[in-house]
Amino acid sequence: MDIRLLTTADLPLIQHANLENLPENYFLKYYLYHALSWPQLSFVAVDVSRPRKGPYDYPKIVGYVLAKMEEEPTDGVQHGHITSLSVMRTHRRLGIAEKLMRQSQLAMVETFQAKYVSLHVRVSNVAARHLYEDTLRFRNEKTESKYYADGEDAYSMRLDLDDVAELAKRDGVDEGDAVGEVGRDPEADGKQKKIRVAVGRGLGVGDLVEKVETKQ
Amino acid sequence: MPQPLAPKEAAQFRTIIRSFEDKQYKRGLKTADLILKKHPKHGDTMAMKALILNSQGKSDEAFPLAKEALTVDMKSHICWHVYGLLYRSVKNFEEAIKAYKFALKLDPSSAQIQRDLAILQVHVRDYQGYIQSRTAMLQARPQLRSSWTALAIAHHLAGNLAEAENVLTTYEGTLKSPPSRYDIEHSEAVMYKNSIIAEQGDYQRALDHLETAAKHNLDRLAVLECRADYLLKLGRKEEAAKVYRLLLDRNSEHTLYYEKLEEALEIPADDAAARKAIYDEYAAKFPRCDIARRAPLDFLSGDEFRQVAESYLTLMLNKGVPSLFANLKHLYSDSFKKDTLREIAEKYITSQDIDSESKDKGEAAALYYLAQHYNYHMSRDLAKAHEYVDRAIEKDPKSVDFHMTKARILKHEGNIKAAAEMMNTARKLDLKDRYINSKCAKYQLRNNENEKALKTVGLFTRAETVGGPLADLLEMQCIWFLTEDGEAYARQGNTGLALKRFHALNNIFDVWQDDQFDFHSFSLRKGQIRAYIDMVRWEDHFRDHPVYTRVALDAVNLYLKMAEKPSANGTNGVSEEDALEKKKAAKKARKEQQRLEREEAERQAKQDPNKGGQAGDAKKKDEDPLGLTLAATTDPLGEAMKFLGPMLQSSPKSIEAQIAGFEVYMRREKYVLALQCLNRALGIDAENPRVHEQVVAFRKLLDNPPSDLPPKVVETLKAEFKPSEETADLSKFNEAFQAKHQDSPLHVLSAIKAKLQLGVDLAKCEKEVAGLVDHANATFSHAVAALETLKSWRSAEVNAFRQAALAKWPNVTRLSE
Repeated sequence: MDIRLLTTADLPLIQHANLENLPENYFLKYYLYHALSWPQLSFVAVDVSRPRKGPYDYPKIVGYVLAKMEEEPTDGVQHGHITSLSVMRTHRRLGIAEKLMRQSQLAMVETFQAKYVSLHVRVSNVAARHLYEDTLRFRNEKTESKYYADGEDAYSMRLDLDDVAELAKRDGVDEGDAVGEVGRDPEADGKQKKIRVAVGRGLGVGDLVEKVETKQ
Repeated sequence: MPQPLAPKEAAQFRTIIRSFEDKQYKRGLKTADLILKKHPKHGDTMAMKALILNSQGKSDEAFPLAKEALTVDMKSHICWHVYGLLYRSVKNFEEAIKAYKFALKLDPSSAQIQRDLAILQVHVRDYQGYIQSRTAMLQARPQLRSSWTALAIAHHLAGNLAEAENVLTTYEGTLKSPPSRYDIEHSEAVMYKNSIIAEQGDYQRALDHLETAAKHNLDRLAVLECRADYLLKLGRKEEAAKVYRLLLDRNSEHTLYYEKLEEALEIPADDAAARKAIYDEYAAKFPRCDIARRAPLDFLSGDEFRQVAESYLTLMLNKGVPSLFANLKHLYSDSFKKDTLREIAEKYITSQDIDSESKDKGEAAALYYLAQHYNYHMSRDLAKAHEYVDRAIEKDPKSVDFHMTKARILKHEGNIKAAAEMMNTARKLDLKDRYINSKCAKYQLRNNENEKALKTVGLFTRAETVGGPLADLLEMQCIWFLTEDGEAYARQGNTGLALKRFHALNNIFDVWQDDQFDFHSFSLRKGQIRAYIDMVRWEDHFRDHPVYTRVALDAVNLYLKMAEKPSANGTNGVSEEDALEKKKAAKKARKEQQRLEREEAERQAKQDPNKGGQAGDAKKKDEDPLGLTLAATTDPLGEAMKFLGPMLQSSPKSIEAQIAGFEVYMRREKYVLALQCLNRALGIDAENPRVHEQVVAFRKLLDNPPSDLPPKVVETLKAEFKPSEETADLSKFNEAFQAKHQDSPLHVLSAIKAKLQLGVDLAKCEKEVAGLVDHANATFSHAVAALETLKSWRSAEVNAFRQAALAKWPNVTRLSE
């Protein structure tokens, strides 16, 4: 299975994979919001060897990672967040989830100078926890009680990205020093959620300029 | 000019605006009424009131009020702006643009009106208008980078690449000092400009630009990919190879990188040894890499293939990778590889040094592989598939994967009922896994068990969604479920609910189209322009996605069925069977309605009274939950156009779309359009059986045109009808078609259907269709098609045929339905 960057055309089948695999679902606009805000961070696993089915074939998505940067980090530290990660049951044990995660983490460091990446995982999801804890070396920060809609607790996990940054530097992929600008508050980011606009002489029509919803 | 207000009222007017912005609609309306009491003809207030009413969902009150506001104050930009906003909210973009333009004429300095107009222009792809608007906006605010970027986007989308680049360069010239290296907007603007240069085909300049301006760009992956691509295109292969190696070091699971590296190293496609050496190199470098190990199987042959396949299969079976078959099945188009893989797996099982105890590794994995092998359409032997999967299940009676495969085997036998039951068994083995839950629900729907399936998926939908699982699936745009649900209803003759689902799906696609609206402005603030361009281009053709085509075909076919008059094909009036069926369907619908009402009542009873109303007022009540209104349409063919139009526009290369188009246009007596579909279908596949039927139907029409068809039109149709020569003698033409395709039951079926059109006796045709059960190449799905044909003719042969077919294929669910 190929691992590559996500494109807009992949979104319907990413949404499909998500609905088929996971209980936390989102409408297409939320995927668009990721793809158009942090296009460097989300990746898909696709079956490229599958013969084309008809003239309008879209590559079958067998796994994806949907990632973002935290828009207003409470700790003031730039960091990434994994919104959703899943691999079709029929394509497990090929290491796809890990490979998707590693691509995303590298991009978080290179493009957005992320210091760490965070995620939530169901306490009962043994397979996912194994991936995060043992393979990717995430550590459990805290338990968030009743985080999920069905009342289950979540582990809030994080992984320090210093090693990834080191690796990126050593490989000559990034030769600069990221310190200094990292903690800056990108002025635009804070204002994304609500847009105020004025009509004519101070008349506002904020309501009809819909907001991009950040549904949890 | 706006009508002036006294200071007190002017303050009140500002309150209305604030209330509107804060969604304090009641307060806003109250304040508006205060002003209107004093100045009943104050246009701006009336307009604002209309805007608020519209936001409350009362657009039927809002529009007349907004119109009245305009009649009392034609010169108010507010009135025109609101008028435009109302039209925009009902998606009448053309009228909205007109209104905005009026508003802008009255107040050319309004940045807001200009902005609303611009967004709508790009939304409807009026690129020339968008360029105008963006030019004006740039003149108003040249200090903002996004003003320049937006104008560049406008030129870019309009196809004027040089001008787009020019605008970006002009802005760069105004920068006094280079922006920070970590300025993401700048970083992206550089890559955007680079993409425009490359799109012009000037790769040398694109490369130069990349090497100077993007040296430290934040999007490292894009820089590397572009650099490698440009170098290769420019023939600088050695350098290109280096960059592709860098890319492979980042991500060794990317087929394209390997292929490009081979190209850069000038390795001929037939030099398997040299190609394999590259993959071996990366397999050694990245022990966990899959592609480097597997890809050589694509191009190796003979003993080399066997050798590599054996070591790959052994490795994967020892590890017990369940996706092994999915990873290899594309090789099955080569029959040598197909047989070799089977042999290796069989040999593996008999080998002494494998793990025969494990539940999923070693022998168990090999049994699982072979079960899938024999279940796959290119190597199908379902008896063997059963045998292997049963042996696998013996190894692990609790394996979800094994039971899931068993269900799939049953499905391929046509035993949909047993397949659904087996998938449910698999589901019960892992109640926490939504994947198997989804598969189970899908199989239940294939077995026409809509309620059961909804209950199944309901185990994973959000419990608190008002309206239950279905509402959650609708909200979350769960295309697969709604499609399968609708198709199941259609199969059962529940036209209302089937149409309900298909229209709900159509709404979802409309929403997808609307979703882009906010990003026209959002992306300019975020600065991720390449991703935005990618989205705009995708939105231009997203309905070519097979998920849409499937729904559109479902809906069109259902409407075609509805349009078929019962008196067609000889039988007059409504037959007894029909009446009975209708009665049954009506009874079912009534029961369903009662069930929904009961559930709704229960839900309301359970609801916390303190929380009441909070969710309720946001959602409008569905007045037609069973789709009875949809099913009662008197113009099914007109309704079909809602699906057919977009499908034909976005997927002209789909033969199914053209076939459906022909059927609809013929019945609507739009012969020119029907012929257009037919000619396109002929261009895609002239031997398609359905297309053959349509050629016969059209030729018949030309030979005997309806009297109200002007002779001139008939002449044009005759001139445009491609297969006119060979169809001069239709019976001969049809016989030749049947003779040519006598080995294909579906082609023969179509030839028989054509005979009926040509006046051959119905009873004779029925006998011929019934005879298909004994056709040497007939499968159960051909039998199902034949049965459908007999049913549509209301043939007396239906039961006899059914029995004959069931005798041959006893477990096929669709034959006993």
